[in-house]
Amino acid sequence: MTVKKILLVDDSETVLQMEQMILQRDHYEVATARDGAEGIAKAREFKPDLILMDVLMPRLDGFAALRQLRQDPQTSAVPIVMVTSKAELESMETGYQIGCSDYIVKPIDGVELIAKVRNLLGE
Amino acid sequence: MNLHHRRNLHEVESSRTADAAERGKFYLHPGQLFVSSEGHTVTTILGSCVAVCLCDPVAKIGGINHFLLPVFNGAGVTSPRFGDCSIKELIRQLLARGCRLHRLQAKIFGGACVLEAFKLRRNHLGESNVSIAEQLLQTAGIPTSSRDVGGQRGRKLIFHTDTGAAWVKAL
Repeated sequence: MTVKKILLVDDSETVLQMEQMILQRDHYEVATARDGAEGIAKAREFKPDLILMDVLMPRLDGFAALRQLRQDPQTSAVPIVMVTSKAELESMETGYQIGCSDYIVKPIDGVELIAKVRNLLGE
Repeated sequence: MNLHHRRNLHEVESSRTADAAERGKFYLHPGQLFVSSEGHTVTTILGSCVAVCLCDPVAKIGGINHFLLPVFNGAGVTSPRFGDCSIKELIRQLLARGCRLHRLQAKIFGGACVLEAFKLRRNHLGESNVSIAEQLLQTAGIPTSSRDVGGQRGRKLIFHTDTGAAWVKAL
């Protein structure tokens, strides 16, 4: 069976570690990036099956990165889940309009994260 | 037959102008539920998640949940993040505020699967969320007067707790 690849984009080391731990326990191959610009570059190189994208990040925020990824034929079809804080939740209307696939709210819950990832990977 | 309440939000805004001043507003986060006997406008954003809106039009009391996963997995404590826990708790809170079970009317929204590749796949998360809502409402004997579920787009839902009116905008 092919191992599915997931790219995690977040400026918080703690969140990245938490996501990584949950996903690697389920045997996904994981790569990380610390802002939107690095996330776009990593997405082109790593060719993930799914991306978890923080909303508020330095250099390039999650929505701007999402917009660029949707415009790039190489990444336009990759499912992208926005990872948002409660304070940013109302902006998720924008996220859907730009083309996110779903969203989860911090603090991250392992059961919810795995359920959404499996769902979007067709597992 | 199921009715679909899908209108342009501009229409909604103008129709709400008259009572906007007296209605409280509440933004419902995923995993929460909200019940009010005072008349609130509740807004929430749905992807694969589902919201069940319940209203007793005689008592003018209503409530809404927003759950992420269909069934509590038994680990940890029960939570409104799970459809089975959330719907039962929503009904319990409405009855505790004076609603009558036989007068409750339900509306179900959400359960999208936003990927083209999976639109024909059965039992995706959104569909499982809708399914548990339908099952539990049927078991409780609560009729569903309206639903806008499935599809490939997220939704912005606006719900009036006192009248049961609901509007959906596809995102």
